[in-house]
Amino acid sequence: MHDYVIETTGLTKRYGDIAAVESLDLRVRRGEVFGFLGANGAGKTTTLRMLLGLIRPTGGHAVVMGEKPGAAASLARIGSMIETPAFYPHLSGRDNLHVLAAYAGIGRDRIDAALEQVDLDKRAGDAFRTYSLGMKQRLGVAAALMKDPALLILDEPTNGLDPAGMAEMRTLIRKLGDEGRTVIVSSHLMVEIEQVCDRAAMISNGTLIAEGTIDELRGEDVLVIEADPLDEACQLVAGLPGVREVRPGAGELRVSGTDGLDPARINARLVREGIEVRELRRERSSLESVFLSLTNGSGTGDADDGGLDSMHPSHEKEVLYAS
Amino acid sequence: MRRETWAMLRAELFQLRKRTSTWVLLGIWAAMGLFFGYVLPYLIETPDGADAGPVAGLLPERMIGEVVSGFPFYGGAIAIMLGVLSVGSEFGWGTFKTLFTQRPGRGAVIGSKLGALAVVLLPFVLVSFAIGGAASSLIALREGYAIDFGSMGDLVLAILAGWMILAVWASVGVLLAVATRGTSLAIGIGIIWALVIEGLLGVFVESVSWLEWVNSVMLRSNAYSLVEPLGGGTEGDGPGAFTGPYVDPGQALLTLGLLMVVSLGISLALMMRRDVA
Repeated sequence: MHDYVIETTGLTKRYGDIAAVESLDLRVRRGEVFGFLGANGAGKTTTLRMLLGLIRPTGGHAVVMGEKPGAAASLARIGSMIETPAFYPHLSGRDNLHVLAAYAGIGRDRIDAALEQVDLDKRAGDAFRTYSLGMKQRLGVAAALMKDPALLILDEPTNGLDPAGMAEMRTLIRKLGDEGRTVIVSSHLMVEIEQVCDRAAMISNGTLIAEGTIDELRGEDVLVIEADPLDEACQLVAGLPGVREVRPGAGELRVSGTDGLDPARINARLVREGIEVRELRRERSSLESVFLSLTNGSGTGDADDGGLDSMHPSHEKEVLYAS
Repeated sequence: MRRETWAMLRAELFQLRKRTSTWVLLGIWAAMGLFFGYVLPYLIETPDGADAGPVAGLLPERMIGEVVSGFPFYGGAIAIMLGVLSVGSEFGWGTFKTLFTQRPGRGAVIGSKLGALAVVLLPFVLVSFAIGGAASSLIALREGYAIDFGSMGDLVLAILAGWMILAVWASVGVLLAVATRGTSLAIGIGIIWALVIEGLLGVFVESVSWLEWVNSVMLRSNAYSLVEPLGGGTEGDGPGAFTGPYVDPGQALLTLGLLMVVSLGISLALMMRRDVA
């Protein structure tokens, strides 16, 4: 039995005939760093806005921190940054946090600590309108952290950050997760999610297309063998113990199987049978390749591709030899 | 007042105080009051140092009426802009989403903004009377008249009436900003309403009988009716002229109060119900 911080059932947001989010069932467990992946316009931000009570769903419902979205009791424990951070341009970074602290009902003593945490303390006295996008982003994170939240909702937090800033942000998010906070990070950068998240959900055209741990989403490793003659190699490998399927490609075989799949033994067997092995390597699927295969390469593919069970459609196509 | 409520109100006052547009509007308001209330009339009434008799209306004893008569006209335009900017700018900056995801919820956020706006209007009222007092005193000294500001009770009533008029116009500004989710269109509509539509209705009211009822619930006619007993009226046929018909001051106060409640009620209802993009 999991302790869910966020639970949505059939969550839907329609604008006329257009479904921004369609029947979304999402569960985020307490204390995990949860990635929310999707192409631009997939429905990530709309979903997060619904979770914060900024927009009302047209169908389904959501429970956030045990409350209705937007309830004062839950907002008090949620730090959030949705899309581009929005602050008063005529106030300094620190003054903006003073205003928010008054609304959040928290002491001013947390402001400096939050600014230091995002490395913005030296520019905190400058007007917000003079900040770079990266600095605005960091101020947004500082505002979220200032509340010492149990749940952090960060929408594209690395937007506008330089590579060093992105790395720092990822480290910070991971650290926040390690502190026991629940963190939801939305992003269209798969690598980012892969690096910092425990679990993730993929959304396309407003519909959930996959959800699971990062390893579950990525799927199993594939052994890639370049051999000659390929046909013979294919027949041989397909009959080896531990091999579940073999897919021949352009001059190579892609072999998947159980944990017992041993590249060294496969290599030895091929060589023993007189088959020339040019290359043998283990290849790990990336979230990006999985996402692209689920969305037919466009990032906005058919939402009916299904859930986790259909995470590896490419593995299921044209299987010529399988044990 | 609860500590949290006070903290939110102070935060709003702080951000309004730090905003350039608040000071620019205050400056324009003060300059208009001085120039159109005293400098221009004084120059017209005393060409080339002629007899100063006609300046009686600019002396301290008529200061209350002179100052308060500016509120229904250009005071309305300034207050509409203040109302629009105090709420409408938040749509452009996107700051509503930031504020609404803090603890207190939408009602408290909007309430704090309206409370701060109500407080900010007070300096606008006080500045206009301070300028009126200073300008009328200078004229009295120059022309050799006594400095007598009349009844303190009337001054307090005039301050309250002035605040009420600005507050109603500002409420209309808030409503326009919320309805249009921005500032530009809201200010445009507001200025057209305050300076053109209300003025034209006043012109045709004597010719078209059913316009009399419409006029009786319009903001400008009620505002002039409220300040008329304090000596605040207009003469001639200038853009701000209002020659009636006046309604009972009590009825005017009630109508203005209702207009404010309706404007703010609709604004609040819209803000509570709408999606925040």
